[in-house]
Amino acid sequence: MDFDAIVVGSGISGGWVAKELCERGLKTLVLERGRHVEHGADYKDFATPWEVPNRGCVPEDERAQHYPIQSTSYAFNSGSQQWWVRDSEHPYSTPAERPFSWIRGYHLGGRSITWGRQTYRLSDYDFKANLQDGNGIDWPIRYADLSPWYDRVERFAGVSGATEGLEQLPDGQFLPPMDLNCLERAFKQRTETDHPTRRVTIGRCAHLTEPTAEHIALGRGPCQLRSVCERGCGYGAYFSSLSATLPAAKKTGNLTIITDAIVERLDYDHAKRRVSAVRVIDAKTGEAHSYQARVVFLCASTIGSTQILLQSRSEYFPNGLANRSDALGRYLMDHVVGIGARGTHPGFLDRYYYGRRPTGLYLPRYVNVTEPDPGFVRGFAFQGYSWRSSWWRGASEVGLGVELKQRLRNPGRWELLLIGFAEMLPRADNRVTLDEKRKDKWGMPLVHIDCTHGENEQRLAERANRDAAAMLAAAGFENVESNGPLKPPGHCVHEMGTARMGRDPATSVLNRYNQAHDVANLFVTDGSCMTSSGTANPSLTYMALSARAANHAADLLESGEI
Amino acid sequence: MSVSENQGKLNRRELLLGAVFLAGGAAALTRFVRQSTAGADVGPVFSPDQFALLEQVADTMIPATDTPGALDAGVPAFLRDMLANWGSPQSHAQILAVLDSIEKQAWSRFGAAFLALPGERKLEVMRNIDADALARQDPAYGKFKWLVLVGYYQSEIGATQELRYELVPGAWRACLPLAEVGRASAV
Repeated sequence: MDFDAIVVGSGISGGWVAKELCERGLKTLVLERGRHVEHGADYKDFATPWEVPNRGCVPEDERAQHYPIQSTSYAFNSGSQQWWVRDSEHPYSTPAERPFSWIRGYHLGGRSITWGRQTYRLSDYDFKANLQDGNGIDWPIRYADLSPWYDRVERFAGVSGATEGLEQLPDGQFLPPMDLNCLERAFKQRTETDHPTRRVTIGRCAHLTEPTAEHIALGRGPCQLRSVCERGCGYGAYFSSLSATLPAAKKTGNLTIITDAIVERLDYDHAKRRVSAVRVIDAKTGEAHSYQARVVFLCASTIGSTQILLQSRSEYFPNGLANRSDALGRYLMDHVVGIGARGTHPGFLDRYYYGRRPTGLYLPRYVNVTEPDPGFVRGFAFQGYSWRSSWWRGASEVGLGVELKQRLRNPGRWELLLIGFAEMLPRADNRVTLDEKRKDKWGMPLVHIDCTHGENEQRLAERANRDAAAMLAAAGFENVESNGPLKPPGHCVHEMGTARMGRDPATSVLNRYNQAHDVANLFVTDGSCMTSSGTANPSLTYMALSARAANHAADLLESGEI
Repeated sequence: MSVSENQGKLNRRELLLGAVFLAGGAAALTRFVRQSTAGADVGPVFSPDQFALLEQVADTMIPATDTPGALDAGVPAFLRDMLANWGSPQSHAQILAVLDSIEKQAWSRFGAAFLALPGERKLEVMRNIDADALARQDPAYGKFKWLVLVGYYQSEIGATQELRYELVPGAWRACLPLAEVGRASAV
C-alpha cells in the first residue's frame, strides 16, 4: 500500500477528513484536481479598490466567453477570478430548457476559499423531515449523533454567533458575535414584537472574532472587518482548508498532497469488496497514475464525487460503483434562491457604522415549526443585511457637478435585503448522469445535469416572498420589492444529495457513517451524502459528518475491520 | 456635427481656442490650456479629440471643489484604460455614442463645440443629457456615468479624500452617529 488513506478533494470536506485521519496517525494522501495555492501569498486581499484589476471588473468579452455560469456568483470579480473554473474549459450539459448552475473552482482548498462562511447546525426538524412527511427516505442519524461533532468542528473552525435557544437552530460553541447595525436592530425589534416566534439574530459565521490558542498556533488571526473574503484572507481569519485543516494535517507529518491530479475512476476488487486503486490523470501532462490505500474518501464535491462513482463501473457495479440502489446521481438538491424582498427606510439618517462586517442577520425557519402552513411541507430561512448606499447610487440618480459631489459625500438611505433560502425536496428525477457522447479534454464523459424546482419549492418561494415583503413593510420600509425571479437550481452552490445516506442499501448509497453500503473501504463525506437539504447552509454539517466519518474509518482500520 | 466626423480636422483645436476666447476670454483659455492633453496617450479607442472632450465632460460632471475632481483623479485615463482592457466592442461603441451625443447637444443648443462652451453651459448640456438619459434608462449613458463615478470614487483621491476608505478597518462598530464617522464609505 502506498498510503493508509486517500482523500479525493481538498475543499471543506476533504480538508476535515485529511486533518482527522492525519491526527489519528494515518499516512494520508490528498488528491486535488486543481493547481497548488499558497495560503496568503496567492491572495489579492491587500489590493485597494484602485489597485485591483479594472477596479474589480472582469473584462466583458472574457466574462461572456469563458465565465457565463461562474460569473453569476455574487463573489465573482477580478480580485477573486482565480477561484472559478472557466466554463469554456470545463463544460457540462443540461436540457436546453432546464438550466442548472454548476459553480466551482479547481485549486487547492476548493470552494472553502470562496464559501459564504455562514455556519448553522441542522436540527431534528431536518433529520426527521423525510420520515415525517414521506418525501425521500429517513436519515440514518439524528441530531444527537452529530451534536458532539458539531461541537468539535465549531471549536476548531472558529464560529462567531449568538446563542438563541431555538430548537430548529441549535446553538453551538460560539466565539463572540458581531453586532447587528442600527436598522437591523430596529427590524429585529419590530419583527419579534409582531411575530413572537420569529427571531432575528446575527449571522453565525466562520470568522475569528476572538481567536483561541489553537487558532493562533495555526497562524490564524482575528477578522479585520475588510470584507474582501472572496479573494482569500491572508489573516486566516475565516475558516478554509488552507487556513485551518490542511495546516493542522501537515503538522502531523502524515500528510501528502498531490495537486493537478484528476481522479478518473476507482478500481474495485470484488473478492475483497474493496476499492483497490485510485486512478488519476495528471491535469498538465495527461499521464496516468494509480495510488493504493486501505481506505478511500471521496470529498470531490457533490457532482464531482458522483461523477467519479458513475465512471467507476465494473462487472459487479454496471451502473456505477456502490450503486446497487440506483440512488447514485439521483435526488439532487440545492437551496431555492431568488426569493425574499428588499426595501429602503426613511429614518436613521443620522446613524451609520464603521467597518465592513462579513456577515448579516439571520432569520431562522418558522414556517412549519411554530407557524404551520398546510400549503406546503418544509420551510425557509432568511439571511439579510442592512446598509446605507454610497457613491454607486449616483450612477442612477439624476444630478451632476458640485451638487453630485455634495450629495454623495453623505451615505444614502438605509436599505435592507432579506434573502430567502428554501428547502428543496429530494426527487428521483433531479439527476446527475454521464453524457456518453461528449468528453472533456481528458477523455472523460461530461456530466449531464437535469434538475428542476417542483411545486412545493414554488409554494415555499411564494410564501417567503410574501412574508419578507410584509415584515419589511411593517418595520417602516418603503419601496418594498420582492426578489426574484427564482434562480436556476445550483445557483445557491449548495448542491447535494446524489449519493445519499440511508438505513437501507436498497434505497441509499451510504450508511450512517458515510460508508458505502457495498464497499467497505469507501466513504463519501461531501454534500452528495445529504438525505435532505434542510433550510440552513450545509457546510458546517459537511464538516461534522466528515470528522465523524474519518474517525469511524480510523476506528475500523485500528480494529482491522477494513 | 459629431466628434467622429471631426476626426482628422487638424485645424479644429485652433478653431476651438478661438471660440474659447470669444466665449470666456483669457481666463477660460488659461483653464482650457491647463487641462488639455495634446500629445497625451489616448489609448486604442478614443481619438485625441474624443479624449479631449472626455476630459471636459468628466471635469464638468465631477469638478474640483474643496476636494480634487475627476481630472485630478485621472478619470479620463481610467476610462481610456477600462475601454482598452475591460470594455467589449459594444461598450466602446456605447461610450463613443455618448460623447457624440454630448457634442451634438452642444452644437444644437449653443451652436458651438462642447469644449468651446463656458463652464455653466457645459454643465447645462450635461444636466440636460443626464436627466433625459436616466429618465429613458438609456444603457449607454448609464454605463458612461457609472464608469465616470467608478473612476472617481474608486480612485485613491476619490476614495480617501472625497469619501472614506480604510484598507484594514480592524473593527466593526455597528451603530454610530454619522457625525462621528464623517463621510460615506467608499466601499
